[in-house]
Amino acid sequence: MALSDTPTSRPAPDPSARQRDARATAQSKRAALRRRTRRIRRTVAAVTASLFCALFLVVYVQLASGNDPALSATSKKASTAAVTTTSSSGESSEATSSGESQSSESSSASTESSSGESSSGESSSGESSSSPSAVTTKTS
Amino acid sequence: MSPSFTHLTGLLATAVGPHLYWIASRAAGSAALILSSVSVCVGLLMGGHVLKRRWPDLRVTHEALSLATLGAIAVHGLTLLGDGFLNLSLADISVPFVSGYKTLWTTAGIIAFWAMLALGLSYYARGRIGVQRWRLLHRFTALAWILGIVHSLGEGTDAGQAWFLAMTAIVVLPALGLLLVRWFGSARRSRPAGQANTVGGLSKLPG
Repeated sequence: MALSDTPTSRPAPDPSARQRDARATAQSKRAALRRRTRRIRRTVAAVTASLFCALFLVVYVQLASGNDPALSATSKKASTAAVTTTSSSGESSEATSSGESQSSESSSASTESSSGESSSGESSSGESSSSPSAVTTKTS
Repeated sequence: MSPSFTHLTGLLATAVGPHLYWIASRAAGSAALILSSVSVCVGLLMGGHVLKRRWPDLRVTHEALSLATLGAIAVHGLTLLGDGFLNLSLADISVPFVSGYKTLWTTAGIIAFWAMLALGLSYYARGRIGVQRWRLLHRFTALAWILGIVHSLGEGTDAGQAWFLAMTAIVVLPALGLLLVRWFGSARRSRPAGQANTVGGLSKLPG
Protein backbone atom coordinates (compact mmCIF):
# COMPACT_ATOMS: atom_id res chain seq x y z
CA MET A 1 0.00 0.00 0.00
CA ALA A 2 2.76 2.35 0.92
CA LEU A 3 4.40 1.70 -2.39
CA SER A 4 1.28 2.58 -4.35
CA ASP A 5 1.32 6.11 -2.85
CA THR A 6 4.68 6.96 -4.32
CA PRO A 7 4.65 8.73 -7.67
CA THR A 8 6.74 6.04 -9.30
CA SER A 9 4.21 3.39 -8.64
CA ARG A 10 1.33 5.37 -10.12
CA PRO A 11 0.03 3.96 -13.40
CA ALA A 12 1.63 5.83 -16.26
CA PRO A 13 -0.75 7.76 -18.53
CA ASP A 14 -1.35 6.41 -21.95
CA PRO A 15 1.79 7.38 -23.94
CA SER A 16 -0.12 7.72 -27.16
CA ALA A 17 -2.58 10.19 -25.57
CA ARG A 18 0.28 12.18 -24.09
CA GLN A 19 2.05 12.22 -27.42
CA ARG A 20 -1.14 13.31 -29.15
CA ASP A 21 -1.55 16.16 -26.68
CA ALA A 22 2.03 17.24 -27.12
CA ARG A 23 1.73 17.06 -30.89
CA ALA A 24 -1.47 19.09 -30.86
CA THR A 25 0.13 21.72 -28.64
CA ALA A 26 3.23 21.87 -30.82
CA GLN A 27 1.11 22.08 -33.94
CA SER A 28 -1.00 24.92 -32.60
CA LYS A 29 2.12 26.75 -31.44
CA ARG A 30 3.73 26.26 -34.83
CA ALA A 31 0.58 27.46 -36.58
CA ALA A 32 0.44 30.54 -34.35
CA LEU A 33 4.11 31.26 -35.08
CA ARG A 34 3.52 30.86 -38.81
CA ARG A 35 0.51 33.17 -38.65
CA ARG A 36 2.51 35.76 -36.74
CA THR A 37 5.42 35.49 -39.16
CA ARG A 38 3.10 35.93 -42.13
CA ARG A 39 1.45 38.92 -40.47
CA ILE A 40 4.80 40.58 -39.78
CA ARG A 41 6.01 39.97 -43.34
CA ARG A 42 2.82 41.40 -44.78
CA THR A 43 3.05 44.43 -42.49
CA VAL A 44 6.66 45.07 -43.51
CA ALA A 45 5.77 44.68 -47.19
CA ALA A 46 2.85 47.10 -46.80
CA VAL A 47 4.98 49.59 -44.88
CA THR A 48 7.70 49.37 -47.55
CA ALA A 49 5.21 49.97 -50.36
CA SER A 50 3.61 52.89 -48.50
CA LEU A 51 7.01 54.36 -47.72
CA PHE A 52 8.03 54.14 -51.35
CA CYS A 53 4.78 55.77 -52.49
CA ALA A 54 5.09 58.54 -49.90
CA LEU A 55 8.68 59.28 -50.86
CA PHE A 56 7.78 59.16 -54.56
CA LEU A 57 5.09 61.72 -53.87
CA VAL A 58 7.47 63.94 -51.89
CA VAL A 59 10.04 63.92 -54.69
CA TYR A 60 7.34 64.46 -57.31
CA VAL A 61 5.81 67.40 -55.44
CA GLN A 62 9.28 68.88 -55.04
CA LEU A 63 9.87 68.50 -58.75
CA ALA A 64 6.46 69.81 -59.79
CA SER A 65 6.61 72.82 -57.47
CA GLY A 66 10.01 73.82 -58.80
CA ASN A 67 11.83 73.21 -55.54
CA ASP A 68 13.82 70.24 -56.71
CA PRO A 69 17.37 70.44 -55.33
CA ALA A 70 18.95 69.35 -58.60
CA LEU A 71 16.98 71.81 -60.68
CA SER A 72 17.48 74.73 -58.34
CA ALA A 73 21.21 74.03 -58.02
CA THR A 74 21.56 73.97 -61.77
CA SER A 75 19.51 77.07 -62.33
CA LYS A 76 21.65 78.86 -59.75
CA LYS A 77 24.77 77.59 -61.45
CA ALA A 78 23.43 78.50 -64.87
CA SER A 79 22.39 81.99 -63.82
CA THR A 80 25.74 82.55 -62.11
CA ALA A 81 27.53 81.44 -65.24
CA ALA A 82 25.27 83.65 -67.33
CA VAL A 83 25.92 86.67 -65.16
CA THR A 84 29.65 86.04 -65.22
CA THR A 85 29.74 85.69 -68.98
CA THR A 86 27.46 88.62 -69.72
CA SER A 87 29.18 90.92 -67.26
CA SER A 88 32.48 90.17 -68.91
CA SER A 89 30.99 90.91 -72.32
CA GLY A 90 28.95 93.86 -71.08
CA GLU A 91 25.46 92.46 -71.89
CA SER A 92 23.90 92.60 -68.44
CA SER A 93 20.43 93.55 -69.68
CA GLU A 94 19.72 90.16 -71.30
CA ALA A 95 21.53 87.97 -68.83
CA THR A 96 18.45 86.20 -67.54
CA SER A 97 17.10 84.90 -70.81
CA SER A 98 17.22 81.13 -71.19
CA GLY A 99 19.13 81.17 -74.42
CA GLU A 100 21.81 83.31 -72.87
CA SER A 101 22.23 81.15 -69.83
CA GLN A 102 22.32 78.03 -71.92
CA SER A 103 24.97 79.29 -74.25
CA SER A 104 27.02 80.72 -71.43
CA GLU A 105 26.79 77.47 -69.56
CA SER A 106 27.89 75.52 -72.56
CA SER A 107 30.89 77.74 -72.82
CA SER A 108 31.73 77.52 -69.13
CA ALA A 109 31.24 73.78 -68.82
CA SER A 110 32.88 72.26 -71.82
CA THR A 111 33.07 68.73 -70.44
CA GLU A 112 29.31 68.26 -70.20
CA SER A 113 27.33 66.33 -72.74
CA SER A 114 25.13 68.11 -75.22
CA SER A 115 21.94 66.45 -73.96
CA GLY A 116 22.66 67.54 -70.43
CA GLU A 117 23.28 71.06 -71.56
CA SER A 118 20.04 71.35 -73.43
CA SER A 119 18.01 70.05 -70.54
CA SER A 120 19.76 72.29 -68.04
CA GLY A 121 19.15 75.18 -70.31
CA GLU A 122 15.47 74.40 -70.11
CA SER A 123 15.63 74.14 -66.36
CA SER A 124 17.25 77.52 -66.09
CA SER A 125 14.40 78.97 -68.07
CA GLY A 126 11.91 77.39 -65.67
CA GLU A 127 10.34 74.81 -67.97
CA SER A 128 9.04 71.68 -66.31
CA SER A 129 10.05 69.37 -69.13
CA SER A 130 13.72 69.47 -68.21
CA SER A 131 15.32 66.33 -66.86
CA PRO A 132 16.36 66.30 -63.24
CA SER A 133 18.71 63.43 -63.91
CA ALA A 134 20.57 65.31 -66.53
CA VAL A 135 20.70 68.21 -64.17
CA THR A 136 22.10 66.02 -61.46
CA THR A 137 24.94 64.92 -63.64
CA LYS A 138 25.74 68.52 -64.08
CA THR A 139 25.71 69.41 -60.41
CA SER A 140 28.55 67.04 -59.69
CA MET B 1 -14.82 60.50 -65.87
CA SER B 2 -14.96 64.13 -64.85
CA PRO B 3 -12.89 66.62 -66.84
CA SER B 4 -10.99 67.70 -63.72
CA PHE B 5 -9.93 64.11 -62.99
CA THR B 6 -8.86 63.62 -66.59
CA HIS B 7 -6.98 66.89 -66.47
CA LEU B 8 -5.27 65.91 -63.22
CA THR B 9 -4.33 62.46 -64.52
CA GLY B 10 -3.01 63.95 -67.72
CA LEU B 11 -1.00 66.50 -65.77
CA LEU B 12 0.47 63.79 -63.55
CA ALA B 13 1.36 61.56 -66.49
CA THR B 14 2.94 64.44 -68.34
CA ALA B 15 4.89 65.57 -65.32
CA VAL B 16 6.04 62.14 -64.14
CA GLY B 17 6.44 60.54 -67.58
CA PRO B 18 9.98 61.57 -68.48
CA HIS B 19 11.13 61.46 -64.86
CA LEU B 20 9.45 58.25 -63.76
CA TYR B 21 12.67 56.24 -63.36
CA TRP B 22 14.52 59.12 -61.82
CA ILE B 23 11.85 59.81 -59.17
CA ALA B 24 11.42 56.09 -58.53
CA SER B 25 15.15 55.68 -57.98
CA ARG B 26 15.33 58.56 -55.52
CA ALA B 27 12.29 57.30 -53.64
CA ALA B 28 13.65 53.75 -53.51
CA GLY B 29 17.03 54.97 -52.28
CA SER B 30 15.44 56.96 -49.47
CA ALA B 31 13.19 54.02 -48.60
CA ALA B 32 16.24 51.74 -48.49
CA LEU B 33 17.97 54.14 -46.10
CA ILE B 34 14.99 54.13 -43.74
CA LEU B 35 14.43 50.38 -43.93
CA SER B 36 18.08 49.51 -43.42
CA SER B 37 18.34 51.82 -40.42
CA VAL B 38 15.23 50.36 -38.81
CA SER B 39 16.53 46.87 -39.58
CA VAL B 40 19.87 47.65 -37.91
CA CYS B 41 17.94 49.02 -34.92
CA VAL B 42 15.87 45.86 -34.62
CA GLY B 43 18.93 43.66 -35.08
CA LEU B 44 20.82 45.47 -32.35
CA LEU B 45 17.81 45.31 -30.02
CA MET B 46 17.52 41.60 -30.73
CA GLY B 47 21.09 40.63 -30.01
CA GLY B 48 22.01 43.20 -27.39
CA HIS B 49 21.25 43.54 -23.71
CA VAL B 50 18.94 46.51 -24.13
CA LEU B 51 15.72 44.54 -23.88
CA LYS B 52 14.99 42.61 -20.71
CA ARG B 53 13.57 39.61 -22.50
CA ARG B 54 13.93 38.18 -25.97
CA TRP B 55 11.12 38.99 -28.36
CA PRO B 56 10.55 36.18 -30.84
CA ASP B 57 8.96 38.53 -33.35
CA LEU B 58 12.05 40.70 -33.57
CA ARG B 59 13.94 38.08 -35.57
CA VAL B 60 11.15 37.84 -38.15
CA THR B 61 10.86 41.63 -38.29
CA HIS B 62 14.62 41.98 -38.73
CA GLU B 63 14.62 39.42 -41.52
CA ALA B 64 11.65 40.99 -43.31
CA LEU B 65 13.12 44.48 -43.02
CA SER B 66 16.48 43.27 -44.34
CA LEU B 67 14.87 41.64 -47.36
CA ALA B 68 12.79 44.76 -47.96
CA THR B 69 15.99 46.84 -47.79
CA LEU B 70 17.69 44.64 -50.39
CA GLY B 71 14.62 44.91 -52.60
CA ALA B 72 14.55 48.69 -52.26
CA ILE B 73 18.26 48.95 -53.10
CA ALA B 74 17.72 46.72 -56.14
CA VAL B 75 14.89 49.00 -57.30
CA HIS B 76 17.08 52.05 -56.57
CA GLY B 77 19.83 50.75 -58.85
CA LEU B 78 17.78 49.11 -61.57
CA THR B 79 15.48 52.09 -62.12
CA LEU B 80 18.55 54.18 -62.87
CA LEU B 81 19.11 51.94 -65.90
CA GLY B 82 15.83 53.21 -67.32
CA ASP B 83 16.78 56.85 -66.97
CA GLY B 84 17.44 58.14 -70.45
CA PHE B 85 19.57 61.09 -69.37
CA LEU B 86 22.12 59.45 -67.12
CA ASN B 87 22.48 56.56 -69.59
CA LEU B 88 24.01 54.22 -67.05
CA SER B 89 24.97 50.68 -67.93
CA LEU B 90 24.62 47.62 -65.72
CA ALA B 91 28.36 47.80 -65.04
CA ASP B 92 28.03 51.43 -63.93
CA ILE B 93 25.61 50.52 -61.18
CA SER B 94 27.08 47.19 -60.15
CA VAL B 95 30.86 47.36 -60.53
CA PRO B 96 32.88 49.69 -58.28
CA PHE B 97 34.92 52.48 -59.89
CA VAL B 98 33.31 52.00 -63.33
CA SER B 99 30.77 54.83 -63.27
CA GLY B 100 32.12 58.22 -64.22
CA TYR B 101 29.43 60.00 -62.21
CA LYS B 102 30.65 60.84 -58.68
CA THR B 103 32.82 57.75 -58.80
CA LEU B 104 33.76 57.56 -55.12
CA TRP B 105 30.26 58.03 -53.73
CA THR B 106 28.80 55.66 -56.31
CA THR B 107 31.45 53.08 -55.45
CA ALA B 108 30.59 53.45 -51.76
CA GLY B 109 26.97 52.67 -52.58
CA ILE B 110 27.86 49.70 -54.79
CA ILE B 111 30.18 48.18 -52.18
CA ALA B 112 27.56 48.75 -49.48
CA PHE B 113 24.96 46.92 -51.57
CA TRP B 114 27.16 43.92 -52.35
CA ALA B 115 28.26 43.68 -48.73
CA MET B 116 24.67 43.89 -47.50
CA LEU B 117 23.57 41.29 -50.02
CA ALA B 118 26.34 38.85 -49.16
CA LEU B 119 26.15 39.34 -45.40
CA GLY B 120 22.37 39.41 -45.35
CA LEU B 121 21.82 36.32 -47.46
CA SER B 122 24.54 34.45 -45.59
CA TYR B 123 21.89 34.01 -42.89
CA TYR B 124 20.35 31.27 -45.02
CA ALA B 125 23.69 29.48 -45.26
CA ARG B 126 24.68 29.80 -41.61
CA GLY B 127 24.40 26.03 -41.21
CA ARG B 128 27.23 25.59 -43.66
CA ILE B 129 29.22 28.61 -42.51
CA GLY B 130 28.88 27.77 -38.85
CA VAL B 131 26.82 29.86 -36.46
CA GLN B 132 29.78 31.41 -34.60
CA ARG B 133 31.53 32.34 -37.83
CA TRP B 134 28.30 33.69 -39.28
CA ARG B 135 27.72 35.86 -36.19
CA LEU B 136 31.21 37.26 -36.54
CA LEU B 137 30.56 37.98 -40.22
CA HIS B 138 27.17 39.49 -39.53
CA ARG B 139 28.76 42.26 -37.45
CA PHE B 140 30.20 43.71 -40.64
CA THR B 141 26.66 44.48 -41.83
CA ALA B 142 26.83 47.58 -39.65
CA LEU B 143 29.82 48.78 -41.66
CA ALA B 144 27.92 48.21 -44.91
CA TRP B 145 25.02 50.20 -43.47
CA ILE B 146 27.34 53.07 -42.50
CA LEU B 147 28.80 52.99 -46.01
CA GLY B 148 25.25 53.24 -47.37
CA ILE B 149 24.61 56.32 -45.23
CA VAL B 150 27.85 57.87 -46.48
CA HIS B 151 26.70 57.17 -50.06
CA SER B 152 23.29 58.74 -49.49
CA LEU B 153 24.67 61.85 -47.79
CA GLY B 154 27.49 62.26 -50.27
CA GLU B 155 25.68 61.57 -53.50
CA GLY B 156 21.98 61.85 -52.72
CA THR B 157 20.20 64.58 -54.63
CA ASP B 158 18.05 65.29 -51.59
CA ALA B 159 20.94 65.20 -49.13
CA GLY B 160 20.83 68.96 -48.60
CA GLN B 161 17.08 69.05 -48.05
CA ALA B 162 15.72 69.64 -44.56
CA TRP B 163 13.12 66.87 -44.80
CA PHE B 164 15.74 64.35 -45.91
CA LEU B 165 18.19 65.31 -43.16
CA ALA B 166 15.42 65.20 -40.54
CA MET B 167 14.23 61.83 -41.80
CA THR B 168 17.79 60.48 -41.84
CA ALA B 169 18.44 61.76 -38.32
CA ILE B 170 15.24 60.19 -37.00
CA VAL B 171 16.12 56.73 -38.29
CA VAL B 172 19.91 56.77 -38.22
CA LEU B 173 20.68 58.32 -34.83
CA PRO B 174 18.85 55.69 -32.73
CA ALA B 175 20.57 52.92 -34.68
CA LEU B 176 23.94 54.62 -34.25
CA GLY B 177 23.26 55.00 -30.53
CA LEU B 178 22.44 51.31 -30.22
CA LEU B 179 25.55 50.44 -32.21
CA LEU B 180 27.71 52.50 -29.86
CA VAL B 181 26.02 50.89 -26.84
CA ARG B 182 26.78 47.49 -28.34
CA TRP B 183 30.42 48.33 -29.12
CA PHE B 184 31.16 49.96 -25.77
CA GLY B 185 29.10 47.37 -23.93
CA SER B 186 31.03 44.50 -25.43
CA ALA B 187 34.31 46.31 -24.86
CA ARG B 188 33.40 46.82 -21.18
CA ARG B 189 32.37 43.20 -20.81
CA SER B 190 35.61 41.96 -22.30
CA ARG B 191 37.81 44.38 -20.33
CA PRO B 192 37.67 42.77 -16.85
CA ALA B 193 38.96 39.50 -18.27
CA GLY B 194 41.73 41.35 -20.07
CA GLN B 195 42.64 43.31 -16.95
CA ALA B 196 42.68 40.16 -14.88
CA ASN B 197 45.04 38.59 -17.39
CA THR B 198 47.27 41.61 -17.32
CA VAL B 199 47.35 41.71 -13.55
CA GLY B 200 47.99 38.03 -13.47
CA GLY B 201 50.73 38.43 -16.02
CA LEU B 202 52.32 41.29 -14.06
CA SER B 203 52.16 39.39 -10.84
CA LYS B 204 54.11 36.64 -12.46
CA LEU B 205 56.87 38.99 -13.52
CA PRO B 206 60.03 38.62 -11.50
CA GLY B 207 60.78 41.31 -8.94
